[in-house]
Amino acid sequence: MRDLWAGGPPRDEQPPSSGGARNVARGQGHHGTVLVVDDDTSILDTVSSILSGEGYDVVSASSGQEALDAVARKVPLLILLDMRMPVMDGWAVARALRGQGITVPIIVMTAAESARRWADEVGAEGYLAKPFGLDDLLATVERFRASGGRAN
Amino acid sequence: MVPRSVSYWLARSIESPNLNALELISVVTQLIYVLIFISVALSAVRQPTRAHGDMTLFFGAVAFIILASRVAALVGNAPPWLTTVEIAVLMALPYVLLRLVDDFTHVRSAIKRGAELGLAAGVIATYATAPALPTPVILYVVLYFFGVSIYCAFAFIRAARRSRGVTRRRMEAISLGSILLGTDILIAGLTPLAGPDDRAVLEALGQLLGLGSGVAYYLGFAPPAILRRAWQEPELRAFLARSASLPRLPATLDIVRELERGAANSTGTTARIGLWQDDTSKLRFWNEDETTLDLEPGKHFAGRAFELQRAIFSTDPIRDNPDGAADYRSLNVGAVLAAPITAGERRLGVLTFSAERPPIFAGSDIELAKLLADQAAVILESRALIDHAARVRAREEATRLKEDFLSAAAHDLKTPLTTVVAQAEFLERRATREPSAPADIAGIQRVVRESKRLAGLVGDLLDATRLEQGRLVGEREPVDIATLAQEVCTHDASDLSLCQVEASAPVVGVYDRRRVEQLLQNLVENARKYSPEQTPITIRVWQEDGEARVAVADSGIGIPAADLPRIFERFSRASNVDDRRFHGMGLGLFICRGIVEEHGGRIWVESEVGKGSTFHVALPIADGRRLN
Repeated sequence: MRDLWAGGPPRDEQPPSSGGARNVARGQGHHGTVLVVDDDTSILDTVSSILSGEGYDVVSASSGQEALDAVARKVPLLILLDMRMPVMDGWAVARALRGQGITVPIIVMTAAESARRWADEVGAEGYLAKPFGLDDLLATVERFRASGGRAN
Repeated sequence: MVPRSVSYWLARSIESPNLNALELISVVTQLIYVLIFISVALSAVRQPTRAHGDMTLFFGAVAFIILASRVAALVGNAPPWLTTVEIAVLMALPYVLLRLVDDFTHVRSAIKRGAELGLAAGVIATYATAPALPTPVILYVVLYFFGVSIYCAFAFIRAARRSRGVTRRRMEAISLGSILLGTDILIAGLTPLAGPDDRAVLEALGQLLGLGSGVAYYLGFAPPAILRRAWQEPELRAFLARSASLPRLPATLDIVRELERGAANSTGTTARIGLWQDDTSKLRFWNEDETTLDLEPGKHFAGRAFELQRAIFSTDPIRDNPDGAADYRSLNVGAVLAAPITAGERRLGVLTFSAERPPIFAGSDIELAKLLADQAAVILESRALIDHAARVRAREEATRLKEDFLSAAAHDLKTPLTTVVAQAEFLERRATREPSAPADIAGIQRVVRESKRLAGLVGDLLDATRLEQGRLVGEREPVDIATLAQEVCTHDASDLSLCQVEASAPVVGVYDRRRVEQLLQNLVENARKYSPEQTPITIRVWQEDGEARVAVADSGIGIPAADLPRIFERFSRASNVDDRRFHGMGLGLFICRGIVEEHGGRIWVESEVGKGSTFHVALPIADGRRLN
């Protein structure tokens, strides 16, 4: 599959890996690891495949607990966090991370009108209001890649 | 001397300067009677009713006897004609009392005629034998007096039983007064026949009875205001105690009925309430049979009282309101009282009382009626405020529900839209960058799946809108529900053991095929959604009592009992449903109910948390009009 991408994408110098990985994307991960958390599997798969296609290592989690487990294994560059999830929602995940002293930047993903407020509530670096397009997603994530960690 | 003993209690003058106790009683008694005469004469001037006239006549007669005796005592020897007139007036007393009874309640005409004949016979006998009346004549006079008085006493007691409050107490007092007076006259008449020793005792007893009757009549005919209030209090207290809970009755009509009952009980009359209707500009009365009667303001007593905003009292309704004469005759209404129900500036309606006879004591009745009307105003106004608050709450609730619904619908639409937009853009980007790359099948499938999900949600929203307009069900045709259920099952699960139809025969009715299919689909999808994977769902189809019956059973999570009543409502989900785990807007069952009800059927659910749910549907089996 990688051969097929030999021409390289117009924007990225590094060829991306093929998308669709359920857990850890097999891309080269030059841009660092992004943890995507959403209980809607379609969104989870779409975002994961896009980001791994763009050269990120992607870890996807379909629940709050899975997200915490993933962070415990490896702290990512960035977390894309859905807010409304059963059992453990986005607020609980953010609280648990802050409680553990983990200061990884969070981008809130939500369909709610109050996206900005919720982002403030959990101390997130920004938000992606659903439905977001490809450019929104990439531009948001790239901010964090550019500085090699936290956005400024 | 006999006549003097007959009127002894009334007319015993101060013959001796040494007042003894009995003479003092006599004076007090006479004073009381004169006082009552003045009081009722004043009432008669203020309110010239027949009852007031008769009261004045009665106490006028007593006052005349008292004054005549006084004059006779002063002059020395009374002329014989005066004694005769005294006797005649005395004999007329019980007859006037009988007229008073007739003013308030009904006295049979035979009794009236009898009393008149008896009176005439007595007067003639007195004239014929005066001045020395023979014992039989005296006995006749005394017995006539006694008999008529006692009859009146019982008639008043009967009338008292039918009335309430002040009127009842006053009637009871008058009844007691009549018994005491009648007994007193009887004793006075018998005294001369008794031995000298007994005479003194009887005279004393007579004096006491005379005083008693004076006091009783005073309380009955001219009670002081403080006593009236005290008598009224229990009735009012009961009415007020009940009225505190009235504004919370379910419907305004219930309040009107209770107020009418309370007002009727408090006054011993028939009470009706008319409420002003802003839309029709009429006063509306509710009949016993739930029919209504609308009255224009200014018409009849109620309309006039409402227009003039003051109480109107009529003791001759046929004369005062000829328009209603036929009704008054047929309902035997002899007195009407109408009082406006007004809260501040707000004219709410009118309270009317009607009775067979004009109340003897119109004054206190009118005051009571006004008080009851004011109380009704307070209650109805409280009710209006409660209704207003409820309307505001309902509006707020409706707004909140709408906002909830819109935000939930928006949320549910945005979720699949996110995948569709982002995934489609990514597919486009990939195809542009590398046209020869193989298709991203997984990505395309996601776009297709989420597009369908969107289409389903939009369809549900449209159906919910149609349902609210009552036009969900369209063209109907004969449909075999058993076959339809089998089709739905086949579509639901490739493994037929997971969706089973139990039907022993076709069940054919005339339905909108597409909607009934949607109903079965929704129920099966619902069952599937809330059941563990790989557990069977059963659709049972049968016919019972002329109805097509369907039961869709699952062994899923079940529905908590508290959620059952609103499970078929718009955007309702059981509280044990994770709304992120189970997609959908909560419109499925709402649409199911709409489909069933528009077909004239019923839908309900039996469920046990943790064991599963069974949704039941009953649809009319055949609609003859549509089949033919």
